[in-house]
Amino acid sequence: MTVPKNQPSPRALAWRRRGAAFTAGWREFAKQRAGLVGLGLLAVIVLLAILAPVITDREGLDVTKATGDRMESPSWEFLLGTDRPGRSVLLLTLWSARISLTVGFVATLLSVAIGTIIGILAAHYGRWVSAGLMRITDFFLVLPSLVLAIALSTVLERGIGTIILAIGLTSWPSAARLVRAQTLTIEARPYIERARALGGGHFHVISKHVLPAVLPLVFVNTTLAVGSAIVAESTLSFLGLGDPDPMRPSWGSMLRSAWLDSAIIAGAWWYLLPPGIAIGIVVLAFTMCGRALESVLNPRLREG
Amino acid sequence: MIIVRSRLLALGVTLMASALVTAPVAVSASASPAPARAAEATSGQDGKVLRIGVSREVDTLNPFMSITLMGTSILRSQFEFLTTYSQGSMTPEGALAEKWETSEDKLTWTYHIRKDVKWSDGKPVTAKDAAWTFQKMLDDETARTANGSYITQWESVTATDDWTLKIKTKVPQATMDALDIPIVPEHVWSKMSDISAAPEFPMVGNGPYYITEFKEAQFTKMKANKNYWRGAPKVDEIHFVYYSNSDAAVSALQSGEVDLINPLTPTQYDALQGEPDIQLNNAQNRRFNELLINPGAATNDGTPIGNGNPALKDVKLRQAIAQAIDTKTLVDKVWSGYATEAAGYIPPMFKDFAWEPTGDQVRKFDLDAANKALDEAGYKKGQDGVRLDKQGKPLNLRLLTHAERDIDENASPFIKGWLKEIGIEVTIEPKSDNQVNEETTRGEYDLAISGWSANPDPDYVLSLQTCANRPNADGTGATPDSFLCNEEYDELYAKQLSEFDRSKRIDIVKQMQALLYDEATLVIFGYDNALEAFRKDKFEGFPQQPTGSGVIMFQQSYWGLLGATPKGEGPVPVYDGSQGTESGEDTTDAAAEESSNTGLILGIVGGVLVVVLVVGLLVARGRRKTADDRE
Amino acid sequence: MSDILTPTEEALAEAPPPTRGGGALRYVLTKIGGGLVSFALVIVLGFLLFRALPGDVVATMFRGRPATPEMIANLKHQYGLDLPLWQQFVNYVGDLLRGDLGDSYVYRVPVWQKIEERFWPTVLLVGVSTLISVALGLWMGTRSGWRRGSRFDRISTGVALALWSTPTFWLGMLLLAATTGLFPTAGIVYSDTPPDFFSQALDIAHHMVLPTITMVAVTYAQYQLVMRSSLIEEMGADYLTTARAKGLRDDEVRRKHAVPNALLPTVTLVFLHLGFVIAGAISVETVFSWPGLGRLTYDALRVGDLPLLQGTFVVLAGAVIVMNVFADLLYRVLDPRVRAA
Repeated sequence: MTVPKNQPSPRALAWRRRGAAFTAGWREFAKQRAGLVGLGLLAVIVLLAILAPVITDREGLDVTKATGDRMESPSWEFLLGTDRPGRSVLLLTLWSARISLTVGFVATLLSVAIGTIIGILAAHYGRWVSAGLMRITDFFLVLPSLVLAIALSTVLERGIGTIILAIGLTSWPSAARLVRAQTLTIEARPYIERARALGGGHFHVISKHVLPAVLPLVFVNTTLAVGSAIVAESTLSFLGLGDPDPMRPSWGSMLRSAWLDSAIIAGAWWYLLPPGIAIGIVVLAFTMCGRALESVLNPRLREG
Repeated sequence: MIIVRSRLLALGVTLMASALVTAPVAVSASASPAPARAAEATSGQDGKVLRIGVSREVDTLNPFMSITLMGTSILRSQFEFLTTYSQGSMTPEGALAEKWETSEDKLTWTYHIRKDVKWSDGKPVTAKDAAWTFQKMLDDETARTANGSYITQWESVTATDDWTLKIKTKVPQATMDALDIPIVPEHVWSKMSDISAAPEFPMVGNGPYYITEFKEAQFTKMKANKNYWRGAPKVDEIHFVYYSNSDAAVSALQSGEVDLINPLTPTQYDALQGEPDIQLNNAQNRRFNELLINPGAATNDGTPIGNGNPALKDVKLRQAIAQAIDTKTLVDKVWSGYATEAAGYIPPMFKDFAWEPTGDQVRKFDLDAANKALDEAGYKKGQDGVRLDKQGKPLNLRLLTHAERDIDENASPFIKGWLKEIGIEVTIEPKSDNQVNEETTRGEYDLAISGWSANPDPDYVLSLQTCANRPNADGTGATPDSFLCNEEYDELYAKQLSEFDRSKRIDIVKQMQALLYDEATLVIFGYDNALEAFRKDKFEGFPQQPTGSGVIMFQQSYWGLLGATPKGEGPVPVYDGSQGTESGEDTTDAAAEESSNTGLILGIVGGVLVVVLVVGLLVARGRRKTADDRE
Repeated sequence: MSDILTPTEEALAEAPPPTRGGGALRYVLTKIGGGLVSFALVIVLGFLLFRALPGDVVATMFRGRPATPEMIANLKHQYGLDLPLWQQFVNYVGDLLRGDLGDSYVYRVPVWQKIEERFWPTVLLVGVSTLISVALGLWMGTRSGWRRGSRFDRISTGVALALWSTPTFWLGMLLLAATTGLFPTAGIVYSDTPPDFFSQALDIAHHMVLPTITMVAVTYAQYQLVMRSSLIEEMGADYLTTARAKGLRDDEVRRKHAVPNALLPTVTLVFLHLGFVIAGAISVETVFSWPGLGRLTYDALRVGDLPLLQGTFVVLAGAVIVMNVFADLLYRVLDPRVRAA
């Protein structure tokens, strides 16, 4: 298979091929109703989160400016009632989306980045590097990640950064194993051998061939993992390890307040339900997108 | 083989599911859940049980080792002290010691031990038991773990005969008539090889109750001591049931699983209001809550320690911060009104010593005035509205709070909000209790939320603010509070200690509080009430300390539990200090016994639900079977 | 946590490679050796993490009570907190090898005793709910996988996904709010239940209902989804067509061929996800005041009881490692493909 001189450059070809694959993938994705619904939901929620400062007033998060009474039930003034200091639960839920989504995205990016690097290195270098890296991966895979994350968030200063770090550092192993498996399959393909034979170094092989080939999988994994990260954030916040700044609430810290403020005993369902439902919807949306993407990559999972 | 496996699996599924599903049926059927159980327990022949829902954990029940509030409170009913605090005025009154006297030089104390006191195993309690207990503490470092501070200045302890105990101290000691040291039976404890070991149950005691069983994180059980010298209690058993979540304790009270709970948050208290069978108790408390403002921490020899923001050394800044705290709103919003608005350092419960600012000294909540004061003091606002300190750095203060404490969690957002209004940025830093303690002890804070429980005698809380109470050179030891070191305050402190005229002493103590108010190294932001609740369909009531307005649980004595009066057993006793006797106060309201139907109904509903579940499951299984076989 | 929704193939990419001849013993030894190395790492990590925690426990213990500096120093000495860090580490490892996890600061008893007390409630809760959720997950997964696209499939997969998406603690809170008065809200047994076995067992079962439902609700989804997708993959395999061609009834094909083969990776996954289950246990035990290890971990962390934390960390991580080694061995025994090689 020699390349005639008048053909486009290999790089352009590769990009054209990728573009075509992406279009085909999107077409396939668009066929999945659940995936589209998930994507739509996400678009709306992200948009609301971004627009929160425009459509609402942040001052409403300041307890000293709260106008409502303690745990007021829903009314026209407060569509979802108020919390213990008298702030609007709707406003809190909206602003919480910003923190929960940010933590979810960034923590997942961190964990997927670590996982991808370790996975590719482990598969590419083989032997001792692989054995060592996989030993560490296995170790972190079996460690009860929540216990580790709790410990980390306690040792470090409390705040968003710490939560991101705690989630990122404890959730990468599954991504690493996935990427390693994929890399092994790819490196077994003839074109990698060819690239090596043509003098491609480690860096060349990894960056030009392996990485682009594992990226779709990494992307799917990221989509699925954001949901887990959001749940993990809410759990850590619920256990009291989240950002303590009242002006930066998250869904998890709202639920913690509801729990500590005896919303159950007081029958304040409007304080208890919205943050939990918000988490559920967002996680579900990510999962639906992820599964749709997954079936784009793996035709055997396709419906019908 | 495969078939066998799948059959086994199916069997497993059914078994597990049915075990889970039918267990509640059996329980609801045999003893429809909670209220019915409770009725059984109180009306049954074999004993009246008082079940107390608590959310504080017991550390250990070894009287030499226990230091947590829960552990020491339980042990207060297990072991008698030489003296206790009276129900009415919370002043020392005789317990194991009938009377006591001190020598001219106040160095020798003689206690006359009551002759009619017996251990729960029937053996007499003598001065030798007390002497053995104290001698053990003098000899054995481990035995000093919990209560060692009382005996550091002791020289010797002797039982001159069975009923006389003599204690010699090296220096005069003010706490000699209020020694909170449990006295243990020599014939039991002298045989123990390890004084710090977990005790065996039942534990021989001489208090109104003795411990029979302890299941960590679950419950502690006590039985009434029939030999108790004040007379046996009216209930036969007390169960302290541990709930790690206080909401769970509240639901347990509602459904009758427990009879008494403390503490309640204001929200829980309000939620219980209007429940026909529940009596609420909104009791004045001996606690004050304060915001510490680090004035530049230093050790007791004056060496600066910690990393407090140096700007806070300026008393004008501290006063402005104090003025920006709206204590009225805190009472309303944080405590929903179940608190007293802040005034002086000594809680208003101690009427004599309590003080409040008057006239010009009053610092009314006024953000504009605080802003103006800061402008005048030269704290200019930066571009983002945050003021700059004298070095031109923006004023960013850390606020150290106890994680998971209701007050801290709810008050800190308010403090942050108000300080922002006067141009001070606050970062809230919730930490575990021990981290908060360590960091405040080392002066590593700018602002911190703290609080103390005051005693009838204000000496201890006043001593917290003296120069000498700051930590020693290596930054440990002592429990400093606000790191105040003020010569005038120290002089007044020494003066009140040696002042034997009570009204003069009160004057001095008030002067000290005025001084604290002006120094503003601490801002009192309120005295929260103790909120408790009990089932009035099971219990007539409990003696409160102080009588009529005080708490039932966590008293400075055992009156509340000793005098627990089950429904229909006459008036709640009042212990008026006429040793061993009690007088009645008829509070019986002639409410007709309500038969508790709710429990039965709930049980039936639960049972029906479960049956529906089981049937549904069976039907589902049946349908699957047919579906499988049809193909 | 994220890999639960991906095909089993990838999750189990580390399936033991077929080895020849006397490889069996070597395989077993390798796995056990790997487990030991992991355990050593746990021990080191346990020390580093928890000794680095800031805070002076001893000072806390005296908060609000008069204490002399001498008393504080004594307690510190008693717990060996005045030694240099490396010496504390040497002592820690030495004690650990002798089975001594130190004394709890707060409870003043050996950590081991504390863990023993809390161990069985957690085993009971995690065990029963894992059994139920595995059974439920496998059954639902088989049904929905076999009839892909059916109403049952769509509804049950939807429900499973929705439950999986909710935070465990929130679900627990909702259950608490919804069933007020029906079930005990906290603890494991009433203090006044008669001490005979039958009453105690009934009472414990009664207390277990809410925590178990919560645990099952959030964990069964992963087994159902994995079982479903692995069955779907299995159904595409040629041997099923062959089996059908042989004239086997659909039902038999499923029961004898497809399900057993799809079952293996799923069951193994149960062990691999034990860490996830333990995370769930911490939330559930917190919400329902269940006196187990999860609650102990959380309480210890809150008060800063270092030896206790180290203890629970080592025990929890150790248990998961043991279960994983067990899973690896089990996989080899069960999977005919590995066995044949």
